[in-house]
Amino acid sequence: MPGDSTRMSSYARSVMSVFLKDWRSELRTRYAMNALLMFVVTTIAIVLFSLGSEGAPSDALSGMLWTVIFFSAMSGLSRTFVMEEERGTTFTLQLLAPPSAVFFGKLLFNLVLVLGLNAVTILLYLALITGFVIQTLSIFLVAVLLGSLGFAAAATVIAAIIARANTRGTLYPVLSFPVLLPLLLTVINATRLASEGAYFQEAYGEFQILISYIVVVVVVSSMLFEYIWKD
Amino acid sequence: MEFLAQNQLYIVMVIVLAIWLGLFAYLFRLDSRLKKLEGKNKN
Amino acid sequence: MAWKIFMGVLLTLVIVLGIGLPMSPHPQTWYELPVIPGLEEKARIIFFHVPTAWLSTLAFLTSMAYAIQYLRKRDPLDDIKSSAAAGLGFVFCVLATLTGAVWAKFNWGSYWNWDPRETSIFVLLLIYGAYFSLRSAVEQEEKRAALSSVYSIIAAVTAPFFIFIMPRIMTGLHPGAKGDPNGAGPVVEFKMAPPMRVIFFASLIGFTLLFIWMFRLRVRTAQLEQAHHAKG
Repeated sequence: MPGDSTRMSSYARSVMSVFLKDWRSELRTRYAMNALLMFVVTTIAIVLFSLGSEGAPSDALSGMLWTVIFFSAMSGLSRTFVMEEERGTTFTLQLLAPPSAVFFGKLLFNLVLVLGLNAVTILLYLALITGFVIQTLSIFLVAVLLGSLGFAAAATVIAAIIARANTRGTLYPVLSFPVLLPLLLTVINATRLASEGAYFQEAYGEFQILISYIVVVVVVSSMLFEYIWKD
Repeated sequence: MEFLAQNQLYIVMVIVLAIWLGLFAYLFRLDSRLKKLEGKNKN
Repeated sequence: MAWKIFMGVLLTLVIVLGIGLPMSPHPQTWYELPVIPGLEEKARIIFFHVPTAWLSTLAFLTSMAYAIQYLRKRDPLDDIKSSAAAGLGFVFCVLATLTGAVWAKFNWGSYWNWDPRETSIFVLLLIYGAYFSLRSAVEQEEKRAALSSVYSIIAAVTAPFFIFIMPRIMTGLHPGAKGDPNGAGPVVEFKMAPPMRVIFFASLIGFTLLFIWMFRLRVRTAQLEQAHHAKG
């Protein structure tokens, strides 16, 4: 049908424009980016100092890595919605784009943000924490990719929820943790497998869980988003 | 003392029973007071 | 009305018989309970621990069901029901965690082990905590109802990943985990002697009826409160 392709592409354009708007405003004011990077560096430094010269078993180090990632995500991923509230632009955004376009645009933004953040975190972690080695790179890369997707998905919808609440800062991790916990446990397990040198096939169970988690969260959040978003 | 040691299980049962019957009585009272208030509202 | 009395009598019987019926290694009569080696008398806690855990899950599902109804119809009563169910669910969740910890202590040695099922009841506790924190952080009633409904649905959707998947993947102490000879599954098929089974299911039914009664009391109370405020 002739109208469909233009409608689809204009929808895609809405999503992209929401994404680009957030992207450009973050680039313009570097404050948030810098604060986030400093947060990552500081947290890893704390881990480094607390470990000292002794190492820790591989599952502890895997867990530590994702703990750092979790808290960095908590620092950074709520910005995309909270910033709209703080600047008073929520209402305008509601008028300009359909709710699902807003959701996917912001999801895309958070995804890019989380991938970038995790890349930095992982590189620093691998470089500085000597006890932590990845033997099976393939498992690790897939786990990080899927984990980041899952993080972005859950974190975005919960950010939308708390943006309208009072005690946003503390509420965000409180709401996110129970929802993210299955993801965290699975991805920590996969990372541990990767650092212990397991075969790629051994991580299939973890990957299945991660993929189904991502699908479920994205589908349900996109359906529920308009109830959060509309006033 | 020996009586208490020998019959520990029955003491547990009595305690649990007491708690339960107390809870039941409370709920029952709550139920009848609600019914009265609801009756008042209707009129 | 009558069903409440029935439930009262039922649970009273459960307590009396569950705790009172004698145990012997080779049950001779119909009313004797078999002794489970290692557990003996302490096995009786199963009559109370499993129903409370079951109830906290039931309450959670009820809360989610009313949350969905609220989002569809925007009837404030549905939100009252969702919140009432959640409140009860929280209480039973605490009870389940406590009775579970007691059981864990005398069965496996320590109060808490991060076994997958223990973790899942803990997560349920966290979800309830998060739900009520969210509700107290939003003042506008409609916004509060909408946001907490959405959250309870999201939490309800991610929680099964724990309850069903994790115990399958990781071995654990709890019955139903990977290494269990009785077979893995969300509802454990345990072998229970007939008198135990009767008391156990009676307890399950009794607790469920108790939940329904307490739920309706809470909803009626909230409705009366609202009517009172409306009158001024």
